Amino acid sequence: MLQYTIRRLLSMIPLLLLISLVVFSLAKMMPGDAFGGEIDPSNTNPQYIEEMREKLGYNDPIIVQYGRWISNFVQGDFGKSTVYKKPAVEVIAQRIPNTLFLAVVSLIFTYVFAFIMGMYAGRKPYTLGDNLIATYNYLALAIPSFVAGIVAIYIFSFQLGWFPFSGSVGIGLEEGTFEYYVSKVRHVLLPALVLGLMGTASYTQFLRNDIIENGRKDFVRTARAKGTSESKIYNKHILRNSIIPLITFLGFDIATLISGAVITETIFTFPGIGSLFLESVSRRDYAVMMSITMLLSFLTLFGNLVADLLYGIVDPRIRLD
Amino acid sequence: MTLADKQEALTQQKSPSPWTIARRKFVKNKLAMISLTFLLTVIILSILAPYITTKDIVRIDFTQISQPPSSESWLGTDTNGRDVFTRMLYAGRSSLTVGLTCMLFITLIGTAVGAIAGYFGGKVDQWLMRFTDFMLMFPFMIFVIVLNTILVGKISGLWTLIIVISLLSWGGFARVVRSKVLAEKENEYVLAAQSIGCKPYKIIMKHLLPNIASIIIVQATLMMAVTIVAESGLSFLGLGVPPDTPSWGNMLFEARNSDVLKEKVWIWVPPAVAITLVILSINFIGEGLKDALNPKSRR
Repeated sequence: MLQYTIRRLLSMIPLLLLISLVVFSLAKMMPGDAFGGEIDPSNTNPQYIEEMREKLGYNDPIIVQYGRWISNFVQGDFGKSTVYKKPAVEVIAQRIPNTLFLAVVSLIFTYVFAFIMGMYAGRKPYTLGDNLIATYNYLALAIPSFVAGIVAIYIFSFQLGWFPFSGSVGIGLEEGTFEYYVSKVRHVLLPALVLGLMGTASYTQFLRNDIIENGRKDFVRTARAKGTSESKIYNKHILRNSIIPLITFLGFDIATLISGAVITETIFTFPGIGSLFLESVSRRDYAVMMSITMLLSFLTLFGNLVADLLYGIVDPRIRLD
Repeated sequence: MTLADKQEALTQQKSPSPWTIARRKFVKNKLAMISLTFLLTVIILSILAPYITTKDIVRIDFTQISQPPSSESWLGTDTNGRDVFTRMLYAGRSSLTVGLTCMLFITLIGTAVGAIAGYFGGKVDQWLMRFTDFMLMFPFMIFVIVLNTILVGKISGLWTLIIVISLLSWGGFARVVRSKVLAEKENEYVLAAQSIGCKPYKIIMKHLLPNIASIIIVQATLMMAVTIVAESGLSFLGLGVPPDTPSWGNMLFEARNSDVLKEKVWIWVPPAVAITLVILSINFIGEGLKDALNPKSRR
């Protein structure tokens, strides 16, 4: 197991290098000077610009520039944000807690709802309730997240006034006070509900089918024959088996949630990584853009690894080597 | 009974071809048929847009800003005084064009890569699949946005988005096709074709692909829904179809203004409903096709 993990982690290095090459070339191809933000824009004296370019190393061959960028990157120097006039690391680190909070809360919603609906539908397949859940699943798969977000804001924020519709925390609240945390939770609930409920469909469907399939297995028949109560069979014997594959979805969700947050965060003007990324693209803040792209690519790789490892942990029949 | 009679009797009893069976099954599927009718209606309305309405989609009319629905303009006007109904029809044009074209490209690339990798196996398979995995590793939204920013303005209009979306989403398709080809090429008819000296290209085109056509058709249908969502999502962010071209996502873009979202419901509800219904109907058609093309399903 440990050996496998280490080998997988090592095999990520060449892939990440390849990705970094792609990210770097993309940033170079972007309109405008990819790293030009540090030159004082009010000074248009060509001699000054030429001097600055020379000083900042923009006139070096591309390979040298790439080498410098990647070696700085590996050492934790992600460059300087030209919009915030701060190191990109700081700008990103400031936003990460928000995105993580949103991701975790929405994951909780996804799991809780998928759990309840999947268990009900799996236990009573082909009934009215099952059909209603299936209908909901179809809708959740068909409605794009931005449509759901807009409708949710319209209904719950504007018509009912239950939730705030933008930001991640109320204005003028002292950090650390009780109100501050309440406000934080209130702000995250609506986007998390939208993200979470839209994500339940595949989980619910999976759990339902797995419960139905497991319900036909021999160990269930044995349990029935021994007179185990129906609820105990479903809640203990079957559920334990059906829940295992669900855990492995977690790995794939890590990256999907965070890059999917680009849209959700924009709708709710939630200050997280996704909205920071969009801002960096539209304002040509290349250091931040490249760092986020690298970060998310790494997370995707990492998520796949986690999924594979979880497979091995929850199901000992699967051997990793 | 003469020989001719016998032959005629035989042809009458001829069992229906797989395609006929599938068609019959599909026609019996109510949900899928309703969805198909709806989708076709939307497509026809979009094609006929210039004949249905003569209102200008681009010209900004300050005397008609944000008018609620009336007999003059059925769905009201938007914040630039343009008729929402007219824009809806033209928006359908761009959204469906992107969806259909991307679907075509993705199917072509995905099928080609998957079939070649699956049929030849070995080194070819290894390298092609490694490349596919590499493409799948990029977080989709992030790279679509980056690529789109690079290409925008260099290639005209919708094509930027079509190329970007197609380039980044054929990976999953290729994998599915490859796994099906891997299973299918073990059959004896492939060996027979090889032994009489059939060229690989011919075996893939004439023997393998027709046998996995059902998978390709279903995947392609579902892919169309995915690309339409991607298009409208990007346009909603203001990074997709250029703003002067109406698309359902572009029209939803206005809902990011909280005044429009709160007070001027007629501006954003029609595109939201249109996107949802189109995606829903495509999904139902996909499910219907899956069911109809599966010889094991009984209905």
